[in-house]
Amino acid sequence: MRELELFFGPQHPGMVGNFSITLKVEGDRILEAIPNPGYLHRGFEKLMELRNWIQNFPMVCRINVIEPDSMEAVYAMAVESLANIEVPERAKYIRTIVLELARLASHLFGAWAYANMLGFDTPAQWAMADRDHILDLFEELTGGRVYHIYILPGGVRRDLPDGFEEKVMHFLHALSQKLPDYNETFFENRIFYERAKNIGKIEKEEAIEWGATGQVLRATGVKYDIRKVEPYLVYDKVEFDIPTREDGDAYSRILVIRDEMLESAKIIMQCIEKMPKGKVYERLPNPFKWKIPKGETYVRVESSRGELGLYMVSNGGNTPYRVHFRTPSFNHGLFILPRLLKGASIADVGNIMISLYVVAPEIDR
Amino acid sequence: MDKELKRRIEEIYKDTEVEFPEANRMVLKTKKENLLPILEFLKREGFRQLKAISCVDWIEEGEFELVYLLSSLNTPLHIMVKVRVGRESPEIETIMKIFENAQVYEREIHELFGVKFRGNPDLSPLFLENWQNLPPFRKDFDTREYVKEKFEQIPFVEEKK
Repeated sequence: MRELELFFGPQHPGMVGNFSITLKVEGDRILEAIPNPGYLHRGFEKLMELRNWIQNFPMVCRINVIEPDSMEAVYAMAVESLANIEVPERAKYIRTIVLELARLASHLFGAWAYANMLGFDTPAQWAMADRDHILDLFEELTGGRVYHIYILPGGVRRDLPDGFEEKVMHFLHALSQKLPDYNETFFENRIFYERAKNIGKIEKEEAIEWGATGQVLRATGVKYDIRKVEPYLVYDKVEFDIPTREDGDAYSRILVIRDEMLESAKIIMQCIEKMPKGKVYERLPNPFKWKIPKGETYVRVESSRGELGLYMVSNGGNTPYRVHFRTPSFNHGLFILPRLLKGASIADVGNIMISLYVVAPEIDR
Repeated sequence: MDKELKRRIEEIYKDTEVEFPEANRMVLKTKKENLLPILEFLKREGFRQLKAISCVDWIEEGEFELVYLLSSLNTPLHIMVKVRVGRESPEIETIMKIFENAQVYEREIHELFGVKFRGNPDLSPLFLENWQNLPPFRKDFDTREYVKEKFEQIPFVEEKK
């Protein structure tokens, strides 16, 4: 059979996000896959060196469109660590609630993308609708639906509005009641099982060697989660579990994601219960004159996709000297994806890519 | 355990500085020649995941600083191994033999900073197309000047007629 070169994406029904892969195929089999990113490269890390510490927030959140809050949190935590700012207790709880709501929204979006691509239109639309309820909550809290710019160094921008806790509880309750429907139509659907089982399989040792984090690593049976390894915010004060699976295929990854949604809901409920009263932010100096002492730091959080790290260097000026984001998708999309695609069929390209949870702007930055 | 690790590293690899700047963070400053043996040693000690490679352009000192971020599945300790290379024709050995996924990070640094990694099979550009200028993340590359040169000649729509 003749070997052909196939350009898959950036505009393709099986592709979510502006990312393209050059495939060398023989019939339906993929011989080699070469990822080709760069469609969303805006050079954020360089641009941040030209703007002061606070001005960077509107850029930070745009690195991950689907879950911007973890980006804001990691940037704020890095600035706090360099400038030695203590965050008030209530702000920590609010941040945790926001991060977990963002994780839920991101996982629902992921479920939408996955279900939609494989043709499960009904559960896909449910997931999108449920995500919209979270966006409504965010709109009430922060004023923005997708980009929030809510977490700032020293705390959060403002306190929770009246009745917000009840609305969150109401939403979580409604979502948990829908779960059997999701299970029946999507997660435990026989057709979906056949489609995702043994696809994009990755062994435990490989996952560790290849630097995988997040669901990709947890689906192979490794219990590794930054929220437990190095608890930040209030994750050491709430009880939750780290869901894992053993098989390491696409189906295991999506089940880990489903179970994580339940854990997120548990965390949010506990936070609402335990949240103390008090102030929500520390006063910051004038942002135009704010200089941060010399130093460097690496902070990390567990985003919905894996370990999100930020290496930040300050040379004592009013702008960062160097900002480097360690995004999970960079490793998953550029290094692991082509290895999993080798030998797969063309119909599974989008399937494997979405199960790795790759989001293109995180790669390009 | 961390103190023990520090003692052993300083004993085996001379001219290596080990510091603990904050909780769960260890910074190792070493020489170019020591890089591969140290990474191999740390990998044997359980730091099996390469999380990323960063690069910092210290233009006043005329050096690039490469930062290798390693972590372990068993301890919360996070290690940053730092190596400096000269800014004039920067070159260093690839670490792909130890951490395979270094390939993509080295490729990114090669594109954005112009550091060459000996032995890396694929250093083709990731993001930029037909880039003729200085590597864009270097401190002496001026983004604002570049934008002026590249885009200001394009006339506005009204001016065209």
